[in-house]
Amino acid sequence: MAKKTTKAGGAEAKKTTKAGGAKAKKDRGVAVEKVTLTIDGQELTVPRGTTLLQAAQDAGTEVPHYCYHPGLSSPAQCRLCLVEVEGAPKLLPSCTTTVADGQVVHTQSDDAIRMRRGVLEFYLLNHPLDCPICDQSGECDLQDHVFAEGREHGRGREAKRVLGRDDFGGDVLFYGDRCVMCTRCVRFMNEIEEKPLLTVVERGDRAVIDTFFDEGLEQSNWAGNVVDICPVGALVSKDFLHKARAWDLEHTDSICPNCSQGCNIELHTRDNLVHRMKPRTNLEVNGHWICDYGRGRYEWLNRGDRLEAPVVHAEERNTAMGWTAALEALKSRIDTLGESSVKAVVSPFWSNEDLGAVSRLVETLGGGSVVFRSPRAEEEITLPGYEGLARRKALAPNVQGAELLGCTRVGDDAAQGGLEDLMDHDGVVLVLGDALDDQPEGFAPNAALVVYLGAYTSSALASADFQFPVTTFAEQEGTFTNHAGRVQRFWPALSGPGAARPAWLVLGALLGALKEEEGPTRAEQAFGLVAKAVKSYKGLDYETIGAQGVLSAARVPVPGD
Amino acid sequence: MPITTKVIQRPEPGRVSYLRAAFKGMALTLRHMVNPKTVTQQYPEEQTELHPRWRGTHVMEVHADGRPKCVACGLCPTVCPANCIRLVGGEDDQGNRYPIVFEIDEFRCIFCGMCQEVCPVEAIHVGRDFENAEYTRDRFVYDLDRLMQQDHPSTLLWDPSDPKGE
Repeated sequence: MAKKTTKAGGAEAKKTTKAGGAKAKKDRGVAVEKVTLTIDGQELTVPRGTTLLQAAQDAGTEVPHYCYHPGLSSPAQCRLCLVEVEGAPKLLPSCTTTVADGQVVHTQSDDAIRMRRGVLEFYLLNHPLDCPICDQSGECDLQDHVFAEGREHGRGREAKRVLGRDDFGGDVLFYGDRCVMCTRCVRFMNEIEEKPLLTVVERGDRAVIDTFFDEGLEQSNWAGNVVDICPVGALVSKDFLHKARAWDLEHTDSICPNCSQGCNIELHTRDNLVHRMKPRTNLEVNGHWICDYGRGRYEWLNRGDRLEAPVVHAEERNTAMGWTAALEALKSRIDTLGESSVKAVVSPFWSNEDLGAVSRLVETLGGGSVVFRSPRAEEEITLPGYEGLARRKALAPNVQGAELLGCTRVGDDAAQGGLEDLMDHDGVVLVLGDALDDQPEGFAPNAALVVYLGAYTSSALASADFQFPVTTFAEQEGTFTNHAGRVQRFWPALSGPGAARPAWLVLGALLGALKEEEGPTRAEQAFGLVAKAVKSYKGLDYETIGAQGVLSAARVPVPGD
Repeated sequence: MPITTKVIQRPEPGRVSYLRAAFKGMALTLRHMVNPKTVTQQYPEEQTELHPRWRGTHVMEVHADGRPKCVACGLCPTVCPANCIRLVGGEDDQGNRYPIVFEIDEFRCIFCGMCQEVCPVEAIHVGRDFENAEYTRDRFVYDLDRLMQQDHPSTLLWDPSDPKGE
């Protein structure tokens, strides 16, 4: 039964999800017929075709639901979103019932509440209530709904079904007892990834989600999403298993740093460490999904080998200093050097603000070239059910931003090599972010001045004239520009170690001292300077970019993309 | 109640005898000599019986096979108002969730008993014990092994003779 509904819903789902991205455009073109209805005594006007559940959401009423997910089809099988519609013989599933003119809907009527109470009691017949050891506890829909509307005590006398747990492959672990059979995971696999690796086996109260024989989710590149959409703790991440409680984690809006798609994510942190990455809904970029490749690569944000204080190399010795002293020393070095040619290496893992500050500094010091090295994958990993979303070939978040600022890519696909002409350069060598791990110790021996602004200690630059600790993207505010030229903001989720400061702040202070003017003190001001320098960012500021990002005016083709 | 004033006449100096008061005091002292009433408790030779709801140093309950009952759910560090519990959860070789690290700083603890109240598996308890002197400060951070070895009785959350608190 469950399987049949899923398949029937498949075609419909494709329509809704594909339309998801193009919805905004469609709304602009054709005037959509509006319908006026009343939900819980509140009159509202919504486009025809809206479901009652969405309309109620617009009105600020959250109708409890499990099987409905905005990115998937609605099989209406969880029976939790039933609401009372005046004139209808019985309660209607709000996730599939569309609005009609003059409809009067009650989501909080006695019948609706009594029905939800009953349905929740059925859900708890076999649910183990192992909240203390369940990773979903604290962000569990079943926990929330039962707490809000369920019975205080169960009346079941029969023993609960015990299934134990099953390794689904990849990063996914399945606790069958906790499952509420919403089949969101099955539908995600069928409709969005279009790789049916999960199914419902058995029927009735013996129904359970399973993989096909020994074909597990390791064949999937997007399986992490089934953990996100699981409303209970049935599908949990092995990586996150027992690691932290949901209520301990702080959520910060950010951008996935692992490819140039620029998926909107949340960084979940505790004790100044990133514990996991979760997708943040942005229908223009990633919908509700992110890939397993991006999701699994957050450990580098927790690296411990960090630069923590400005280090000045003089008379064969490295001396740690305060910022003021170190910047003054650098300024006096620059003053004695006079105008010289600069060769800079930047990293596409650093923000537009930081890269913009580097290019301003290069200009001020006498001009030169800025290069960057970025890892590349051989192939894109696409998500068939969501147009425009893929793990891109460029495996760095701000390749486009670097290109727009006039930086050129060098080196190979592992982000190595390509720095031969910097090695013999006799002017100023400036490095931002790139620790030059492939380079020998004593990088650029002939250079008049070597400045390294980096987050991590570097053996190649251990004897650089100046080493300045800067923050990674997770520790500062800023913007990345994704492969399509979309400028998106991220926010600080961690606090930087020791004296580490954002590179734009450090370079801004240095530039301010060199030019005898005020440097930027806020990321917003630093972005303003970038927006002035790059044509396609014209008119952009932090307010217009907002939480969902803005497509900038032009797209510079990244070679080979 | 109305405020009343009572005027006490101070006796004139030189006209008062303190003899009567002195004898009265001596009589009390002598009476105690003949018929002693012990008020002083001879601690530590004599121990007071602690109230059943006395909240002292913690006890971790243990399964029959020696594993701690704690499932590392994280509720006690969440509820602890003094922030004195450190917990790192993990999985043991039988696939059970258990605390890899469970530490209580008895110096920071304010003995409110909320950890015991919130515990869903009745693992952590405050105990009927107060003799916990140590020679060094760091000995006051009780780790899991030490909490499991505590052998004093644990505190009752309510009075058994009056379970509803009436």
